[in-house]
Amino acid sequence: MSVRRKGPRATIVRVFTYLSLVSVAVVVIFPFVVAFATSTKNNQDIFNYPPTLIPQEPQTVDATELLLPDGVDVSDESLPLFTFPGSSTRFALVDNDISVAEFRPLDDLDRVIRLDVSSGDKTGDVVTIDGDEEDVFVIEVDGTTIEAYRSRLTSGGRFVSLDDPADERVELVNLVEPVQQFGPRLENFEEVLIDKNLGRSLTNTVLVTIVVVSGQIVTSILGGYAFARIKFKGRGPLFLLYLGSVMVPFVVLIIPLFQLMLQVGWLDNLSALIIPFMFSAYGTFLMRQFFISIPVEIEEAALLDNASRWKILWRIMVPLARPAIATLATFGFLYAWNSFFWPLVIINSGNPDGRVLSLALSTLGGRSSTDLNLVFAGAMIAMTPPILVFLFAQRYFVENSASSGLK
Amino acid sequence: MAEVTFRSVSKQYDGDGPKAVDSLDLDIKDGEFMVLVGPSGCGKSTALRMIAGLEEVTDGELLIGDRLVNNVPPGDRDIAMVFQNYALYPHMTVRENIGFALEVAKVKKPEIKARTEEAAEMLGLMDYLDRLPKALSGGQRQRVAMGRAIVRSPQVFLMDEPLSNLDAKLRVQMRSEIIQIQKRLDTTMVYVTHDQIEAMTMGHRVAVMRLGVLQQVADPQELYQRPANLFVAAFIGSPAMNLINVMLGGTAERPTASFAGHTLAIDPQAVERYPQIAGRIGSSVILGLRPEHFSMDGDFDLPADQTVEFEIDLAEAMGAEAHLHITLDVPVVELDGAPVIAEDGGDVSTSTTSVIARIDGIHFVRSGDVVKLGVKTHLAHFFDPDTGLPLS
Repeated sequence: MSVRRKGPRATIVRVFTYLSLVSVAVVVIFPFVVAFATSTKNNQDIFNYPPTLIPQEPQTVDATELLLPDGVDVSDESLPLFTFPGSSTRFALVDNDISVAEFRPLDDLDRVIRLDVSSGDKTGDVVTIDGDEEDVFVIEVDGTTIEAYRSRLTSGGRFVSLDDPADERVELVNLVEPVQQFGPRLENFEEVLIDKNLGRSLTNTVLVTIVVVSGQIVTSILGGYAFARIKFKGRGPLFLLYLGSVMVPFVVLIIPLFQLMLQVGWLDNLSALIIPFMFSAYGTFLMRQFFISIPVEIEEAALLDNASRWKILWRIMVPLARPAIATLATFGFLYAWNSFFWPLVIINSGNPDGRVLSLALSTLGGRSSTDLNLVFAGAMIAMTPPILVFLFAQRYFVENSASSGLK
Repeated sequence: MAEVTFRSVSKQYDGDGPKAVDSLDLDIKDGEFMVLVGPSGCGKSTALRMIAGLEEVTDGELLIGDRLVNNVPPGDRDIAMVFQNYALYPHMTVRENIGFALEVAKVKKPEIKARTEEAAEMLGLMDYLDRLPKALSGGQRQRVAMGRAIVRSPQVFLMDEPLSNLDAKLRVQMRSEIIQIQKRLDTTMVYVTHDQIEAMTMGHRVAVMRLGVLQQVADPQELYQRPANLFVAAFIGSPAMNLINVMLGGTAERPTASFAGHTLAIDPQAVERYPQIAGRIGSSVILGLRPEHFSMDGDFDLPADQTVEFEIDLAEAMGAEAHLHITLDVPVVELDGAPVIAEDGGDVSTSTTSVIARIDGIHFVRSGDVVKLGVKTHLAHFFDPDTGLPLS
């Protein structure tokens, strides 16, 4: 911990530092938060406007708990709740599809009163509105009778107040506000894994990643140790060749590698994703650099203790190289986990059982892009392991205990 | 336990480069504490690493006991080494560090535990057995390195400047501990150091090396009192022996040495020890005077022609004694075309010679004073300026 400066100037600097750091952090984290929120929403909520960060679902009430007025027959067991504009009283939608008559009072033609189609009595009078002749009805609104004409017949919902069962209203469903409550839909994950076959792709990716990473670690340790400590003819030029291969971009290798896979017969085969990537020039380089930095005396001491090369490597060098191995494992993991282009090229027959996660995710997004919640659920599943790996491995990046046995 | 024998052993890193060790002949006896000493680059560490098997022998024969070990891998030589930086295994506890060699040798667990604890007990490490090296102080790490060597009961202990990373006080303490451990185990020990005080205090015998060549092997007293050449004379002793280019004069019975306007009578005892002096009257030789060969006039009963007046550049009062620094207007003594390495480095100019005299601390001398010093010329050394060999 460094020494903290004091004084008003330092405080201002610190406040600004933290403010700018926090704002950058918020900007960076926000897309993840949106993705996570979307992955837990149901497929109505994702299109709600305005969008919310908290997953919501319509609030409902159990029909049997509701005191219903006589004559109302309920077919659904749970009824969605709504509020009318300007009021917070919640109403249950007891009937979703009834005929609604729209009346307009003769003394106030702009007002619309919606009632059940059976209400209102014809007086027998006729009025002329905009050139059309309309029958005059007598309707009862809030205990008073009003003369009105029937401007339109439509369909709407019948609502019953939760507070007062006698308060029963008829209204168009799209004019009332549905009552929302917190409702994450965790079934998204299950659905994307099972119904969308992402589980198989996940298994493939896990398998490929584990084999590739462990293969890379073992081959890099062996190669790196040889380059660092064993003298053999051509060691220098060979190492330069190794280093040079790091600089060849992968796109250049795609066609030859594809040809090779074709010859070997590994098209559409997970082997094509595993075997060529178990050997890493970069990893060999990384391990060599680390092994070189381990004081040679430690190895000489082990040599005098009569330990074999093999034993020195696995008992002394490898435990000391843990930070480098963690780094290598993390990079290898991220690469293998996220690799998209090579699987896209080599797993090409449309056989979904050979797909890896990155591939499956892209087809999921392309084919059923209306299921945004499922796409994001898949993305969350794909994202979690790399984040966990990074969190666990990051302490090794800063830890280096190789020289602590010395003066 | 075994003796170690070098028979004309040479080490050359490049095919035609200089020899790091040049035809080394050295017999290290069974149970002996042998110190290899010399300035950096003298080949002492290379010699040690050849015993360990960490460096190949280019030429000659190296024997441990009766066995020729030129091509024996390090692990099969039954030796243990303590490295300058200790080379502890950082990821292992003290217990695992000490027991590793036994574990490799497939010794049974209870025995490993017993022997590890025995070694730890001897070194006072019992409370630290389950710590990692990074949680130990320098001195404790040093002990663990010792423990790792002791636990195997090897034929030979090798130590490569094991104390150079410790502070002065701890170094003195560990010095005596190593001596005691060697005495107790009675194992052959080869100890490399650049510090001639360590060499003098620790070794049964000391081998002085320079530029890959062995200069002298002798017990510390002998080395100090009868150096085999100019280099050993200059290297052993602290402060170093004062070497002055002088002109011999006088007669063969009572010769004198003249330098920078001073003339000093040479005691007949010195002539007896260095008989060649008689034949060199009128020629230039190198006079070697240890700092303690000077004394304040009157402290000893020295004849008047063995006293000289000097102007003191710098007087260092150390309490029990005082060091007086004197500059003489005489070209500095050279060995192979370069000034002889002095204890405190070679920053001095080559046209003058620095001399240090050690006198009793009872005298009060200040920088700038002119004082009369007596010189015990009967203890003086004389060397040939061309060969660097003593005039004996």
